[in-house]
Amino acid sequence: MAPKLDKSLIGSEFDHTEFPPVTAEHIREYAAAALETNPRHLTANDAELVAPPTYVVSLRGRHFMPANLQTVLNIGRRGFDAGKDIECGVPVRVGDALTATSTVHDIYEKTGRSGSMVFVVLRTKITNQRGESVAVIDQKMMLR
Amino acid sequence: MILDLHTHSEASEDSRAPVETYLKWLQRKRAEVPIDGLVLTEHRQWDPHADYRALEDKYEFLILRGAEVETDYGHVLVYGVNKDITRHFDFTNVRLSAQELIPAVTDMGGIALPCHPGRPTVGLCAHYDGKPPIEGVIAVEALNGGSRRGENERVQELIDRYGYKTFGGSDSHLVSFIGICATEFDRDIRSIDDLVTELREGVYRPVDFRANLAKRAAS
Amino acid sequence: MTNPTAFEDVDVGDELPPIHLTLTPEQVKRYAEAANMPGGRFMSDELAKAEGLPGQIVPGNFSLALFSRLITDWSPRAKVMRLSATFRGLVHPEQPLTASGVVTEKHSSDQGEFIECDLVIESDAGDRLVTGTATVRLPPQE
Repeated sequence: MAPKLDKSLIGSEFDHTEFPPVTAEHIREYAAAALETNPRHLTANDAELVAPPTYVVSLRGRHFMPANLQTVLNIGRRGFDAGKDIECGVPVRVGDALTATSTVHDIYEKTGRSGSMVFVVLRTKITNQRGESVAVIDQKMMLR
Repeated sequence: MILDLHTHSEASEDSRAPVETYLKWLQRKRAEVPIDGLVLTEHRQWDPHADYRALEDKYEFLILRGAEVETDYGHVLVYGVNKDITRHFDFTNVRLSAQELIPAVTDMGGIALPCHPGRPTVGLCAHYDGKPPIEGVIAVEALNGGSRRGENERVQELIDRYGYKTFGGSDSHLVSFIGICATEFDRDIRSIDDLVTELREGVYRPVDFRANLAKRAAS
Repeated sequence: MTNPTAFEDVDVGDELPPIHLTLTPEQVKRYAEAANMPGGRFMSDELAKAEGLPGQIVPGNFSLALFSRLITDWSPRAKVMRLSATFRGLVHPEQPLTASGVVTEKHSSDQGEFIECDLVIESDAGDRLVTGTATVRLPPQE
């Protein structure tokens, strides 16, 4: 099944999610699971606790990718995370109400060790309740 | 004269290396990575307007340009890219015909050389198992700085069987990997035309500087 | 310098102290759950093989988190401004890994003082499984 490099999806928004307030418990659990050692992510009191920079990847929206992506691109369902680029803004703190908006940023094809692959770059912008930028995440998905 | 023949700057989508930062790094690492120039071989593209002469003058370092394209026999480095070549071959096409590309690029004044031939799927070795050899291959990248254990070693049989010349390149996508593998030429190279001539007719060999960096890190 | 506290303490070429580790299957599962990554491939060998993989894999996000820790272990005052990673090969639990980095550039402007780093996670055979970069802000000496 030859992929169709249809770039019409580029720029389309496929998810907008408002998350419940960030809890101290989740920040500490994420940091511990990520093997963090810095006390500001683990043992600081709630008012001073700060999430590690990569905490934002745990904010999983209702839709991880456009629902019609595989159909439009004529590719299989098997996908792998090929890379990430995170631009960090203000830190995430306990009680923050975060919003994530995701769009298709780029689509291209290349060949590598595992054969021919289509890459889709999904951009997620995360803001807090004050409208400040918390993170911009470019997630590169490899699909076959 | 030592040149890194296979490098990627931030113009390649999977590289994070600004060209000027490469040059600053090479100035600092002269003892460990004694290269005289580099060739930017960006993935699947050719920008006819890119111009690095100001950086060449500032850092007294040779910067040439080529491209890394994708074919039905794996990836190929193209040097001496010109309008004839880009009119004939779409560099964004990941299914170029290597049998057509390699001889045609030679006829049009450039040279196209298979890179990382030992790499699965995108290296020549994997394709020579079941397909006829490509006509007109002069040299292959026997030493690639991004290859995994065993991939560079796999190339020896190819070289012995077909008599290909060999060259080296870092395949760097990060600043600190520039020049770790390179090519030593017997003659001076000052331009892309010189490079094409030397790759076709000259004497050269891959050189490996990875041990210099490991030694430094251990000390 | 290990643990630089100011921009002036850092030189291009400085190596970040490496982290040597071997992740357990339980650590990988715990991270995937904390990061809301529901894929079976991160939970067990059995579920990963059902997806056609050789065994349980470490999420790319976990490698990214290790990069972040590499930086803040080196300099607790460092603020990560940008972090990138390219996942070049599968990373498995019970596989000895080394995360390392090197300072490649320093620059200061009216926006602040910034340091650029190259980052790598390698297998014990020296294969680069994850490569990346970071832009880090470190304040000047007071």
